[in-house]
Formats: sequence, C-alpha cells, structure tokens
Amino acid sequence: MTTTAPLGAEERTAPPAGSPGGRRSVVGRIRTGNGLVFVLPFLLVFGLFMVWPIVQGLWMSFTDSSLALRDTGFVGFDNYTEAFGDPDVWSSLGNTVFFTVVSSVPLVLVALAMALLVHSGLAGQWAWRLSFFAPYLLPVTVVTMIWTWLYQPELGMANQLLDTLGMEPVGWLSDESVAMWSVAALTVWWTVGFNFLLYLAALQSLPTTFDEAAALDGAGAWRRLWSITLPQLRRTTGLVAMLQVLASLKVFDQIYILTKGGPNGSTRPVLEYVYDVGFTGYRLGYASAVSYLFFALIVLVSLVQLRLFRRED
Amino acid sequence: MSSRLPAQGVPAVSDPVRRPSRRRLLRHAMAGAGALLAAGPLSGCASPASASGASALSVWDLFQGGDGMLMDDMIEAVSKGAGGAEGFEIDRTILDWGPSYYTKLAMSAAGGRASDVAAMHLSRLAGYAPGGLVDAFDLDLLAEYGVTEKDFTPAVWSRTQHEGTVYAIPLDVHPFIVFYDKKAAERAGLLDPAGELAPMGSPEALLEAGRALAEATGESGILFGHVTDTAQNWRLFAGLYAQTGAAFDLPDGGPPEIDVDAAVRVVTLMTRLFDGKTNPNNLDYNGALAAFSSGRGGMAMLGEWELPTLKKSGMELGAAPFPQVFEKPAVYTDSHSFVLPHQDSPDPARRREAHRYVAQILRQSLTWASAGHIPAYQPVLAEPEYAALDPQSSYADAAEVAVLDPPNWFAGAGSNFQNRMCQPLQSALLGDTTPEKAVRQMVREADTLLRQPNPVA
Repeated sequence: MTTTAPLGAEERTAPPAGSPGGRRSVVGRIRTGNGLVFVLPFLLVFGLFMVWPIVQGLWMSFTDSSLALRDTGFVGFDNYTEAFGDPDVWSSLGNTVFFTVVSSVPLVLVALAMALLVHSGLAGQWAWRLSFFAPYLLPVTVVTMIWTWLYQPELGMANQLLDTLGMEPVGWLSDESVAMWSVAALTVWWTVGFNFLLYLAALQSLPTTFDEAAALDGAGAWRRLWSITLPQLRRTTGLVAMLQVLASLKVFDQIYILTKGGPNGSTRPVLEYVYDVGFTGYRLGYASAVSYLFFALIVLVSLVQLRLFRRED
Repeated sequence: MSSRLPAQGVPAVSDPVRRPSRRRLLRHAMAGAGALLAAGPLSGCASPASASGASALSVWDLFQGGDGMLMDDMIEAVSKGAGGAEGFEIDRTILDWGPSYYTKLAMSAAGGRASDVAAMHLSRLAGYAPGGLVDAFDLDLLAEYGVTEKDFTPAVWSRTQHEGTVYAIPLDVHPFIVFYDKKAAERAGLLDPAGELAPMGSPEALLEAGRALAEATGESGILFGHVTDTAQNWRLFAGLYAQTGAAFDLPDGGPPEIDVDAAVRVVTLMTRLFDGKTNPNNLDYNGALAAFSSGRGGMAMLGEWELPTLKKSGMELGAAPFPQVFEKPAVYTDSHSFVLPHQDSPDPARRREAHRYVAQILRQSLTWASAGHIPAYQPVLAEPEYAALDPQSSYADAAEVAVLDPPNWFAGAGSNFQNRMCQPLQSALLGDTTPEKAVRQMVREADTLLRQPNPVA
C-alpha cells in the first residue's frame, strides 16, 4: 500500500499525455507489467504455504502415508471408500453443520442488534463498543478457561445462577444434548464483536436521506428499521453471513480445549476428527481424504451462498 | 527476480534523482527479503548445534511442574557426576505432555532428527517399537553400569519388550490409587489397627465405605472427577476390570477380546458407587481435586502424582493401592520410561553415554519418589530413606500387580483410545445410558480402532 499511494499521487500531478519526459508511461509500466515484482513475495509465500500443501494433501489422500513412517504406498480411492463408510466422519460432519447453524444465526442477529443499539445513539458509545468488541481480542485459551469455570458443574457460575433461581443444575459440558449449545454460547460471546464492527461500519456509511424522508412522511422507528435500514444492510448481511458460515465450519480450537469432542463425541467437529486421525493416530493419508471431503462440502456451501448473494443483488 | 530488476532500472536514468533512489531502496528491500527467506531454513538447521554444542547428550521429556523440577535436580546431580561417576553435559528439552508429545516423538524418530534419550509412557511402547521408531537397549551395556532385569518387578519389565527385545527402561510406576482423609476414615471405621486403610474385599464393602465416609464427613463419600476428562473413567474401569481376572485384549485386525459380562459388572459397580447420593458425581478432575483437598469428601480416586498438591491441603492424608474388590489384586498403572528414539546410524560412543545416563538417572530415583511416584528401580525401594517416605511407601506394593493398557499402537497414555473408552463410561456414570449399552459401545469403538490399518508398523 505504501508503494502504490505515492505513485498514484504522482499520476494525478503528471503532465498531460504527450508531454516530454514520458513520466506517465513509466508509471503505467510500473503499475501493470512490473507490478508482478511487488506481489512476488506474496505469491511465493502463498504458493509455498498454501498451494503446495493443498496439492501435497490431495496426493496424500490417495496414499497410506503415515506421520511416523517414511514409506508410503499408493492406495487409490481406498481412503475415500473408508471415509464414506466411517460413521465417525458422518457424525462429526453432522456436528460441524449443527454447530454452524446454531452459532451463525445468533452471531449475525446478535451482532446486528448490538450495532443497531450502538448506532441509535445510546449514551456512553465508547463503553458499548469496547465491551461488545473486547472479548474478540482474547486468545482462545483464555476464553475457554473462563467458560470452563462458568460451566463447572459444582461451583460454576451458570449452575450457581440456576440454583439461586431454584432450578436444577445443567450438565453444560457433560449432557450430550446441551454441550454443543454451550460451545455455541461461548463462541457467540467471544466472536460476535467482529460482526458487530462490520455492521456498525455499514450503518455509519448509510446515507441518511431516505431515513429522514421517511421520518418526514411520518414513518415510525420500527417502520424505518424494517423498510429502510435493514434492506440497505442486505449486502452487509450477505457478507457477514458468508464469513460467519465459513468461520463456523472451521470450528476446532475452543471445542478441542473445552470438551475434546465429548461427551460421547457429541461436540466433535470434523476438523477434530481429522486432527485425531492424522496427528494422534498418525494416519495422514486417511486424514487428508477426510479433509478433502470436508473441503468439497465447504466449496459447495460457498457456491450456494454465492448464488443466493447474487440473486439478492 | 534478478532478471527483471535490471530491466526496470533502465528508464530510471532519465528520471529525477529522487526516484531511482527510491527504486534502489525497494530493490534492496526485495533483496533483503529474499535473503531472509532463503536464510530462514538454513539458520534453522544451524542453530541447535551451535546452541548446545555437539557433545551434549540431548534428552526429551514431558515432565512439567513439580515433576519437571525434580527431573532438573536429578539431571543436575548426574551432570555433576553423582556417586563418583563421570559427569554429563545434558541438553534437556521439555515438551508439553499429551497427544502432541507422542506425535512429536514419532515424527522426530521417523524424520531422523531424534534426541539421544526420550521419556515415554510404557503403555505407548506398542506404537513405537514394532515400527522401529525406537531402538533396542543393549542390556550388556546397561549391566556394565549396574542395571539389570532383576532390578525391576516382572509386571513392569514384561511390558518393556517387543518380540523379546527390550526397548524401554522404566523410571517409575505411577498407579491409580486412593487418597483418604485419615480422620474421616477413622470415624467411618475403615482403618485397621495400624491406622491404615483396611482391605475391602468385595464390591459391597466399597459401596458401604462410600456411604460411611459420606456420613463421617457430612458431605461426600468417595470423590471422583470424570466429567469431560479423557482418561479418568478408563483408569478406574481398567483397574477394576483387571481385578475380575478377565482378559482385555486388542489383537491387530480385531475383533477385540473383551469379557462383556465382566465389563458390565464393573460398570454397574461404578454407576452404583457414583450414583450421585454419596457424592456429587458431576465433578470434573479439578473439581474433585478441589473438593477433596478442602475436606468435602472422605476419599478420592486419583493418580499418585497428585500427592504433592494434596500434601499442601493440611489434612491428615492417607494413601493406599486401589482397593481389591473383585477376585484378584490388580492396580491400573502406567510407567514413565526411557527409550532410545530411532537413529539411522547412531554414534556408538553417544549410545554408550545414553545407556550410562539412563542407569545414572535411575540411581536418583529417591528424588523422583518424593513426588509420589513409585521408583521402578527396586534397589531404591529397599533403602531406609524410601521406607521413611509417608504415604509413598504405603502403596509401593502396587507395582507388583501393575496392569497397563492393552498393548496396541493406538492405546496408552494420552491416546485416542482412552478418550474413546471414557465417553461411553461417562454416559453410564451420568445415568444417560445403561452399563450394558456403554460396554457395547466400548467394544464397538475398540473394534473400529482395531480394524484401521496400523500406521506405525
């Protein structure tokens, strides 16, 4: 960025075309052909750490490659056949999709509600912004530790609260039907700040003219929200929803630290299964095959979203 | 990169003075970045050797916290040349204990950059020895430094081998035991005349002890933290199951050989013991530890490694091998051992030093015992200093009836297998499923793992 800004500035002050010196043509050349030089470092790193591992992983998924051995044999589609018949692949995929649904919906809605609240001009703006965004700055280990305490069955605040209300304690992390919701609650608290920020930025850049005109015509606050503000936010919502779904599909670390996939595999996402199989089970080939199945799912979801997004436009 | 940069420099001649200098700056920056990129991997190779010196014996272990400090003391002692022996120069690397440790150990051995000596849970050996990830010990060499088979209990020694060759030398035995509050146990009438926990002998006696302890403390009886834990349920189950005398075998390719009736008996006892009446039965590991050390329970089922923590609680602490309640004595155990990670062409002199190092460290076992571990090196147990360690000496017999995880590449400390066994057990303990269903799921999980191709052999 720092390199293009001065060039752009010079271009603006450059003499008209045809004037002696040919400054413009030099600038033009730098900006087009030779621009490759500027992105080369990125391309190099991208190729080395992104493209190459992707290709390598695809190759590995057709081998019985093991983390602990050097000899590798080609096994064709064996890993894929095994993965299709592996109930753990399907259950962990199901868990991932379930988590994506129960986390993405509140992560979009709560972020929108927060942004609207702040944008509506509540007193103490900076305090709201800080408190909504602050959890996002915490590292995953800290977040998980805080929530492990909150969810602690005996002494945790969540059950203490239920106790004061005269309700039965809940097995936040030990009840198979509750655990994934607990993970989702933690995730919403932790990451909603980022979506909130995107929404707030969008709200602040909306033109106020429509809103003012509608107000003059006598539309109430709710009416203006539904008919003016929300439709104008549609593109942002599309973006937030897309980023959120992709982020939620990739869930791993907070679950790995919080429950290790338990109770009874009910919170194990597919990425943890890949990790378990590949890194603690050494079966890199099989783990790669499962990752590629998951990769296919992500591509599919992205295509569907892109389609929906386009239609909205 | 180099072919494009001069071409770019040509038009610069006609440019104002300011611009080429900027371009030159950019070019230097690019060259610098390239140099950094190129140098990164090279310096990565160079630094370990230059940092430690080629002569230092490299040692990997997973001992952190109190254990880590004790290991430091032991290494310092042998480095200085304890007992008149020649000293060592040791380059110690401590890695985080858990699944990642074993991943790194396997990778380092497969990648040919392994340390000279590494620590390993004996229960994991079956995942390392068959595939050649660890090298065999030279018993003659060890004997030269005064360590022989006779110095270990048969229960532990039998697990150091693969196809008759010894691949691991045990440092300790760390069983799953019971800690108890001596005062509460006395009020509950569970002590023998010598003031130690009296034998139980039957499942009913264990259940009765739980009730009596709950009454004596006014709160909980026997505490056990298992919620969201990846090992505790398995430790308890495996010990009790071994007491039934039934086999739990995991032959490669499956099916698992598990006595379902015996397993159901054990799980049923576990659910009765932790039915939520004489104890809360919803505690996680730290919750149970905290509850016991603050006097809210009479007994706790834990690993002996919690001894240093519990000693600080100020209670009159007793410890005993896990009570025998079924047909034969057995205690679930693991063992920290030393292995020689595989090297393609080991330097004979370094290998010799590695053997000498292991033998010397074993002699420091008394230091190690202060943390609660039972030294595997038996001559230390005979020393009066060890007998004076209380309550360590009261559960030293556990090493005689030690039962480790069934030997298979996927089982052992910090493994997926333990986690997978713990999950159905947790469901049963929390009352979400029956003991029969939980056992069926355990058999199914074991079968799934067995049918995977073995990636380390």
